[in-house]
Amino acid sequence: MKKWAFMMLTALMMVSLLAGCGSKGTDSNTAAKGGVSSSDEPVELAFWGDWAGEGQKQFETMVDAFNKSQDKIRVKYVLQQDMITKFMTTATSGGEAPDLVFWDRWRTSLYAPKNVFHPIDEFMEQDQINKDDFYGEALKELSYDGKLYGLPLTVDARALFYNKKILDEAGVTPPTNWDELEQAATKTTKWNGSKLEVAGFSLADNGLFNMYLQQAGGQMLDETETKTNFNNEKGLEVLDFWDLLLNKDKVYKIGFEQGLGEGTDAFVTGKLAMQYTGPWMLSTYKKYGKDLDFGIVTPPVGPNGDKGSVMGGLGLVIPEGSKHQKEAWEFMKWWAANKDNALLWAKTSLNIPGFKPAIEDPFFQEDPLWKPFLDTLEFAKIRAQHPGYSVMEDDGLIPNLELFQQNKLSKEEALAKSQQRGDQLLQDNAVVK
Amino acid sequence: MLASIGKLNRHQEKMAYVFITPTLLLFAIFTVIPVVMALYLSFTNYDVLSRMDWVALDNYQRLFKDGLYWTTFKNVIFYSIIFVPLNILLSLGMAMLMNFKRFGIRLFRTMNYLPTLTSAVAAATVWIWLLHPEFGLVNNMLGWFGITGPAWLAQTETAMPSIIMVTLWQSIGSNMVIYIAGLQGVPDYLYESAKLDGASAFARFRYITWPQLRPTTFLISTMAIIGALQLFDQAFVLTQGGPGNVTKTPVYLIYQQGFKQLQMGYASAQAFVLAIAILIFSLINMRINKAEEPVV
Repeated sequence: MKKWAFMMLTALMMVSLLAGCGSKGTDSNTAAKGGVSSSDEPVELAFWGDWAGEGQKQFETMVDAFNKSQDKIRVKYVLQQDMITKFMTTATSGGEAPDLVFWDRWRTSLYAPKNVFHPIDEFMEQDQINKDDFYGEALKELSYDGKLYGLPLTVDARALFYNKKILDEAGVTPPTNWDELEQAATKTTKWNGSKLEVAGFSLADNGLFNMYLQQAGGQMLDETETKTNFNNEKGLEVLDFWDLLLNKDKVYKIGFEQGLGEGTDAFVTGKLAMQYTGPWMLSTYKKYGKDLDFGIVTPPVGPNGDKGSVMGGLGLVIPEGSKHQKEAWEFMKWWAANKDNALLWAKTSLNIPGFKPAIEDPFFQEDPLWKPFLDTLEFAKIRAQHPGYSVMEDDGLIPNLELFQQNKLSKEEALAKSQQRGDQLLQDNAVVK
Repeated sequence: MLASIGKLNRHQEKMAYVFITPTLLLFAIFTVIPVVMALYLSFTNYDVLSRMDWVALDNYQRLFKDGLYWTTFKNVIFYSIIFVPLNILLSLGMAMLMNFKRFGIRLFRTMNYLPTLTSAVAAATVWIWLLHPEFGLVNNMLGWFGITGPAWLAQTETAMPSIIMVTLWQSIGSNMVIYIAGLQGVPDYLYESAKLDGASAFARFRYITWPQLRPTTFLISTMAIIGALQLFDQAFVLTQGGPGNVTKTPVYLIYQQGFKQLQMGYASAQAFVLAIAILIFSLINMRINKAEEPVV
């Protein structure tokens, strides 16, 4: 008898263990059903984002303002640290899909072809939203195959940050073209023997090749957007310029800024005179107030006067799996296509909104730190819309640029290898119809 | 009498199966089934979101032409060839030092074990600091001797050696503990009789300690090989695969292809080839260590 009781107990343990695994699934099913509401109760929307801390508070400010403005829709911000993976899980294995997703726009070209987002063209037409009110490049980045998938919340681009004190001491003015940039960088660089004390200009980020190439008058991909287009004289011009700065003028040392962040940032501590960075660094640098007196100018133009900067930013999209797409659109429209709300968002989060009427506000127009970014955004271009673009840069181009910088490859070899591997990566990661 | 022993054994056998069933079930659900699924996926163009069509050997054909994938393989093999022997050598050396019965030896053991307790990512972040070319402790110390240290993590020559150093620092502690346990399991009478026969300290190590530790060494080297070929965290934090792809690893590529580019089918094929490579290296290791032969 005892033996049997023991066997039963063990079996019971196993069953309960398995039940524990299964119960999660049923929970989420019932929750999904609960999402369908009756007519008089407000519709609840789940808004997913991966901003925590300060960013979460900024989102909640917007969500609260929207919830107070009407009584038909209730939005709730859901923090998802690993948002993309979570989103993929709900899209495939059931689960409750979010109604809105905070979206890194450059990912659109990878995800939109897989039909996971709902196009908003119809909504735009019904509510007569004027596309010209938004940054065209930002809308382009949210489009695929002639359909628009969301609205931009923020736009950004890199401009030239300079340390006023260091430039004054060296007797130089902020550069406007490559020649002036080279001279200013040379004059502000300070070496102590083999130790670099102040770097004139940051060459830490090889990913900015795109920006320099535009300034040299080039484009990363050809017109078909399927092949790289930098293995030519424009690309060589960029590498010549880098070689001049890094190896001849020695205004920078490889690895100089590695691991430095926030309070130890080389620009904050006065170890770096000039660098390309974006508006996301403004709040960090403003914190250091008097210790760091800095200015911003539009990126210097290339040898033939070409301007160049890369536009990026975030937007909102509505998943195809959402049960309340119309309500989600209402919230998106309220936030991204309304002057007052876009401005509230901009001031809360210290971002440039994608909605142009909001930028007319003196908050942006009269601030010497915002103005250069607005000017830069006028000519900034988004990254090429190819699902393999970022892989092409990360695995095809940048490694060869690093080898070039360390004199392991000649400039011709570096570009030829980048082209060969880059084209292959673009082909391997292209959209499969 | 005999019959009752047989009965008892049969009963114990039955109960043994009952007891290992939960573990085996979990193993099947979370390991065997996913592995079989991954094998199936490696023959499809699965992208998580929209498709899962049979593409036969397309992924494997692409893989053999994928120069970057083989570069990452070359990287981890280079890493393993240096890391695994050094790991065994240093952990064993450390274990023999820490095996003396002296006052305060436990404190030293603890201190040597400490690096293992920190998370790989946190430790790597601190090492980025220590290895900074201008402000890092390592180069500052070299500076006292008039040596200008390199940009450890940013230069192609020193990036991989730096990762080897950091990972060694972190893995020696736990292997040292395993070796200490192994050393304490070596019967004293063997040493005693060897001493009586006039064997030197080196001879005692060569003919007693080392052969007696064979199972321990096999365990440590196998785990080290698996870990080395699956290198990811430290390389990801310290260098992000750079400079010039010299520290990019297969696991990094698998992650990128699968989760960033949504090419799960291709990523599964990459993962399978990696698993087979690990199997091959483990078999070689088994041969070298003669793991199947009994310890005398």
